[in-house]
Amino acid sequence: MRFRLVRYFTLASLGMFGLVALSLIYFEREQSQFYKQTNDEQLAFFGDVQQSFAKQQEDAARRDLLTIHEAGNVNLTRLFANALWERDFAPFVAQVQAIDVTGCQAIADVTDDKGKKAAPPEKKACFADIGKRIMALPGFKAIDAKVFDSMKKSTVFKIKVFDLRGITVYSSEHAQIGEDKSFNAGWRSAAFDGVPKSELTHRGKFSAFEGVVENRDLIGSYLPVLEPGSSRIVGVFEVYSDVTPFLKQIQQTSGQIRSTATDNQKKLGEAAAANQDAVDATSYRQLATIAGLLLLLFAALLVIVRRAEKIIQQQEADRAHAHQQLAQSEKMASLGQMVAGVAHQLNTPLAFSQNNILMVKDALQSMELPMKVAGRLSSILEDVDGDKVTIKVSQLKANLDKLQEGNVDVTMLQEMLKDVLGGIDQMSELVVNLRDFTRLDRAATTNADLNKALHTVAYIAQTVLPKNIELVEEYGQLPSVECNPSQLNQVFLNLINNAAQAIEGPGRIRIRSFAEGDQVHVEVQDNGRGIPDDVLPHIFDLYYTTKPAGEGTGLGLAIARNIVTEHGGDITVSTRIGVGTTFTVTLPVRQEAPLAQAA
Amino acid sequence: MTRLAGKVLCVDDEPGIVRSLQWLLQKQFEVFTATSGAEALELVKQHDFDVVISDQRMPVMTGVEVLREVRKLSPRTMRILLTGYSDMQAIVRSVNESEVFRFINKPWNISELPKVVAQAITIAKTQPVETPAAEIPEDAPIIANGERILVIDDDPEMGRAVADLVGASAKVSYTRNLADAVGILNNEDVSVIISETRVGTIDATRLVRLMKSKHPEIVTVMLTGESDADTITTLINQGQIYRFVPKPIRTGYLKLVLQSALRKHGALVSDPALTFRHAVETTSAGAMESLISDVERAAPQAETAAAAKGGGFMASLGAGFRRLFGAG
Ligand SMILES: Nc1ncnc2c1ncn2[C@@H]1O[C@H](COP(=O)(O)OP(=O)(O)O)[C@@H](O)[C@H]1O
Ligand SMILES: [Mg+2]
Repeated sequence: MRFRLVRYFTLASLGMFGLVALSLIYFEREQSQFYKQTNDEQLAFFGDVQQSFAKQQEDAARRDLLTIHEAGNVNLTRLFANALWERDFAPFVAQVQAIDVTGCQAIADVTDDKGKKAAPPEKKACFADIGKRIMALPGFKAIDAKVFDSMKKSTVFKIKVFDLRGITVYSSEHAQIGEDKSFNAGWRSAAFDGVPKSELTHRGKFSAFEGVVENRDLIGSYLPVLEPGSSRIVGVFEVYSDVTPFLKQIQQTSGQIRSTATDNQKKLGEAAAANQDAVDATSYRQLATIAGLLLLLFAALLVIVRRAEKIIQQQEADRAHAHQQLAQSEKMASLGQMVAGVAHQLNTPLAFSQNNILMVKDALQSMELPMKVAGRLSSILEDVDGDKVTIKVSQLKANLDKLQEGNVDVTMLQEMLKDVLGGIDQMSELVVNLRDFTRLDRAATTNADLNKALHTVAYIAQTVLPKNIELVEEYGQLPSVECNPSQLNQVFLNLINNAAQAIEGPGRIRIRSFAEGDQVHVEVQDNGRGIPDDVLPHIFDLYYTTKPAGEGTGLGLAIARNIVTEHGGDITVSTRIGVGTTFTVTLPVRQEAPLAQAA
Repeated sequence: MTRLAGKVLCVDDEPGIVRSLQWLLQKQFEVFTATSGAEALELVKQHDFDVVISDQRMPVMTGVEVLREVRKLSPRTMRILLTGYSDMQAIVRSVNESEVFRFINKPWNISELPKVVAQAITIAKTQPVETPAAEIPEDAPIIANGERILVIDDDPEMGRAVADLVGASAKVSYTRNLADAVGILNNEDVSVIISETRVGTIDATRLVRLMKSKHPEIVTVMLTGESDADTITTLINQGQIYRFVPKPIRTGYLKLVLQSALRKHGALVSDPALTFRHAVETTSAGAMESLISDVERAAPQAETAAAAKGGGFMASLGAGFRRLFGAG
């Protein structure tokens, strides 16, 4: 198959460029995604940082709020205790101690559906009963009034007092009196550890001293009550104070921080997006530039390759042309050699025929006079009646020389003419063989008698070969072979010429033919110098020759093989140095495909 | 009728040729025939032939080989080579190895051939034979006694090579144009001419042929570049060239040729009768005139000392030619 340079180049390089472009785009995409991802991560991280900062800030503010208010409540409790405990609450609590609560406390808690332990309603009712008994105690009303008095107009919304059993001894919200808080963590902390415990809660509805309030943030503190003058815990206060306005302020501040953070986040996001866009744009530009450069490269290469292909084609054409010319010149050279040989071959019969004919002509001329004399004599004799004739010989005597010269040996003349005929035969044989050799007057492909063709070639070759080379022809029975005889003649002539050129001095060339199955074999064997091992692999190569410039072209065997292969045949060689070489041409009797016409 | 005037042997592998030669020559001479080299040499051993005519192209032994052997066996026999087609190599070899008297081309002229044979027989019968020179080894020194050698060649290297070879023993004149050559030939006693077949644009073989017909004692050696067989045939038949030296020239071979040429000249001078053995065909009429006109045309461009003399030169050149070759 022919190698299509431009097409293959285009396909390969476009494919390659495509791959390069694809991988470039892929890497660009990867890079841009990576960039975006890092940007996003950075943004998220930054956001998280800001958010946590805002939260921490709010938490700290709340903690501060709690601590401040707890401290305030502790002071308040002290004040309260100083003012009310000794005189009012201590005896009241002592009264309450008299009420037995163990029965209520013994009622088991139930686990509600959330898995949390809660007091069953009968327990709550039991304690509520205890509350009613407390409120029924004398002195309750006076204490309640005093508490209300002292707490009115303060930020304290509610106040509770517990005994060391956890029973609510007093609550500004009366309904809560009697409740059991012994399990409450705040109460336990204050009652057992003496540590105040505070909690910030939001209440939708809350019954305060001055009635029910709504939507309030409250700080509730459980505070231990110390016996005045000692550090013995005697009870627990629970105080609820209102921090709604403070909390609002804190929430406002943290809201501001948060919104600033969101703003920043947004700006940062925008900046990142802008960056991403810029990066993407740059990478598109890059891609476009590279694509453009690749296209330019492709165009340049294409121009070069096309030019190269043109040059290659030109060289190919030149080579084919040169080859054709060389083949032609080889043909002409062997033709010239043949013509010289044929001319010489013709020259010999021509020379003696010409010589003989000229001599016969001279002889005939010299016979003219004697013939005339004889003719005259015969006519004279015709007219004579008697037996005797008298002839005057004086005139004849004067021409005696010429008469004697005319007395030629007629047998010799006949032999001369016989030789001339032989010469003519030789010349016509040559002409017939010449005609058979070229076969210009016949169809290119015919069923040919190869033996006849071989003999013709041998005959023609003989005219060129040195006379001390003997040609031996040994032909076997051959079927007629479908072939182009003119081309095969050239093959055989080339082989015979090579054989002759391999022989120095006297030698012998044997031409043999024989049939075998549906093949015929022709052998050209010489007893020349043989072919050395280093030459043998090249002998069929075009232009390969070991002969000096004028003598060898290196085309003979290349052309021979070409022709034989075209006939579907084969040409082989066997050789021994110093002994000789045999070339064997094997040809099929019938052709499968029609033969090319070119000779 | 002058029959049996001499013994002639005709050799050719083609019987038709020997038969017709026999028919042609047997009226005047005693003719023998042979169809192979071996048969011919056998006959030469048995008979004393005046002339052997041999075809060149024969199996086993070529004509040149046959004539070379004939020369060894019978030096007085004149040798004629019959050639059918031009084989340059064979012809050069025939000159150098067999010293043939004539080339005869096939087909031959039936009135000329008997005359050539008759001339050869006359020479063979009447002229003394030079003793064949012994083989000269290549390294032997050149023996000469001050003879003059004229070298005519376009390449000055040739003159130098010859001068180097002969050293002081002989005088060498070199020139690259024929006008000078004519001058030298007129003024000096030239023994050997070594000439290229073409000098400049002029065919120098005519000078050599003319020289030989008037001065047969001069030995001529031709240097051949790419001359064709016809030129050489003409040279041998009309110039009796002593040797051909194919170019490029091997010094060893040139030395051998020079050596034997000088010796040949010595023999020719000491016995002028020998020169008849090298008699030439008459050159075609007008050869001298055409040579003179060619040389005169080329002379103005020649860088010759004589050319400086101006107007008188042409006249003196013409006179020189005439003196050299006799008046026409
Ligand atoms: N019969 C042979 N004997 C020895 N060598 C041969 C023979 N035939 C061919 N060759 C070798 O093969 C070479 C190529 O032959 P060929 O193609 O005919 O080219 P050419 O004859 O022009 O050299 C010859 O140069 C010679 O060396
Ligand atoms: Mg060949």
